[in-house]
Amino acid sequence: MSDDGLLSSLRYLFADFLDEEDTTPPFLPDGLPEEAVPAVSEGIHLLMDYQGATYARLYVDRVKRFVGRIDAGLLAEIARLMAERMAYEDAIRIAQCKLAEYRDSGGEILSTDIKQFRFDELVDALPEIAADPVLMVLGKIGWEHRRVSIPFSTASRWGLRRLKAEAWLRRWRRFSIRYGQERVWVERWLHMIARALLKQPQSVGAIVDTATMIKGHGDAYRQGLADWHAIIDGLVKPVFDGVLPLDDLADAIRQAREAAMPDPRQVSLKRAIAEIRARAIGAGGNAAAE
Amino acid sequence: MDTSHLAEHAGTAGTLFAQVFVVATLSMKTMIPLRVFAILTNFILIGTAIPSHNYATIVVQTLVLGLNSYRLHQMLQLVRDVKKSVTSNLSMEWLKPFMTERPCKAGEVLFYKDEAADSMFYIVSGRYRLVESGIELPIGAIVGEFGMLTPSNVRTQTLECAESGLVLSVTYDQVEQLYVQNPAFGFYFLKLVTARLFQNIGRLEQRLEQQALAVKIA
Repeated sequence: MSDDGLLSSLRYLFADFLDEEDTTPPFLPDGLPEEAVPAVSEGIHLLMDYQGATYARLYVDRVKRFVGRIDAGLLAEIARLMAERMAYEDAIRIAQCKLAEYRDSGGEILSTDIKQFRFDELVDALPEIAADPVLMVLGKIGWEHRRVSIPFSTASRWGLRRLKAEAWLRRWRRFSIRYGQERVWVERWLHMIARALLKQPQSVGAIVDTATMIKGHGDAYRQGLADWHAIIDGLVKPVFDGVLPLDDLADAIRQAREAAMPDPRQVSLKRAIAEIRARAIGAGGNAAAE
Repeated sequence: MDTSHLAEHAGTAGTLFAQVFVVATLSMKTMIPLRVFAILTNFILIGTAIPSHNYATIVVQTLVLGLNSYRLHQMLQLVRDVKKSVTSNLSMEWLKPFMTERPCKAGEVLFYKDEAADSMFYIVSGRYRLVESGIELPIGAIVGEFGMLTPSNVRTQTLECAESGLVLSVTYDQVEQLYVQNPAFGFYFLKLVTARLFQNIGRLEQRLEQQALAVKIA
């Protein structure tokens, strides 16, 4: 066996622990409208930097689902928002960005950012096999939701080494609990867009735009995610399942989003959703009676 | 007469003989012959450890012998079950020992349409609905077995849990491992999936005929 063959076999064996070999970015999808090219290209570039070629290919495959099905502007918006969501902000990403900032400045920007995380949020970034026992122990001692401040610093040699070590964990990201959760979220969002195209095409834009509800990390991220699921479960899905007679879903989503407050109990949002549902069911009942 | 040196020589010769079997075991390309040779090696190592009263080797090799025998039994049973499935009801229940349990809550989606497929499911309890077609899947149904062999490898429908229950899942990677380790399994697995595909085509043809007949009558 040649050295090359042996090395490539060893690389394959330890592929999960080594960095990705393939660094070729994927091609743009066939038939992609001109208007959507910049957004998709940017998305590919972002995800190549974020994770690697395989992840960028997954992004292109997801974009492909809508090529030729919706207008170019909306496709570009889906591509832009999807790339943002696929490059979700975890401790690894923050370390990657901080290192990039340091490198781009030629080593001149020396700063420290302190970010707040919950323990479970940090552990979720680890591979499931390592995260599960840690989460179990944290749960038993009641530290799961305990907050911790993490410094991301380029101001010292130790800080830089730590950032590099955290950014190195990128290769394990796809085995993490958080990755699985984000994958399910993106698929659910795309699924809702696809169903809107069939059931209420006029509401597609509003559903695409709901992705802007989820941003950042920590409390803001969790709040946005919970609000998003409340709107999808309370309004969007029931309309597509045919159990909620709502003619203007886009307006209902707008009203619900306006009612969403930074409140973990979601009182105002839940009330708004209940009111919209009651109105729609009432109107549906009246229409049936007539 | 002192026979201790005879036992020592017998032990050395036995160990050398066992090494031949170790090499033979490691040179096997597929799982069943590998296990068979591993079992033979275990017997020889136990046999050579007895005259020299090497109890540690005896204990370790006995444990490994049990493990090798169990794994061999599992592999042979798998081939036998797949083979039986091909000639009887085309069921995929034989995969159950290799699957992991996954409880599902009502409203949970197991997979979405157009998503890259990476596993297949066996429905144990609860109610599950294919969202796009509205078809409800019965208990005992296998979902996603074709995804493994299709070039596009994407889900063609969304599967939603309508009533909480339990599914068993196995990743395509795990089935691929079984396939590669065990050529006999691979052969019968292909036969089985092809037979299920033809069964589906048959059902579709029957449905088309019924529809054509209904149009004629109308």
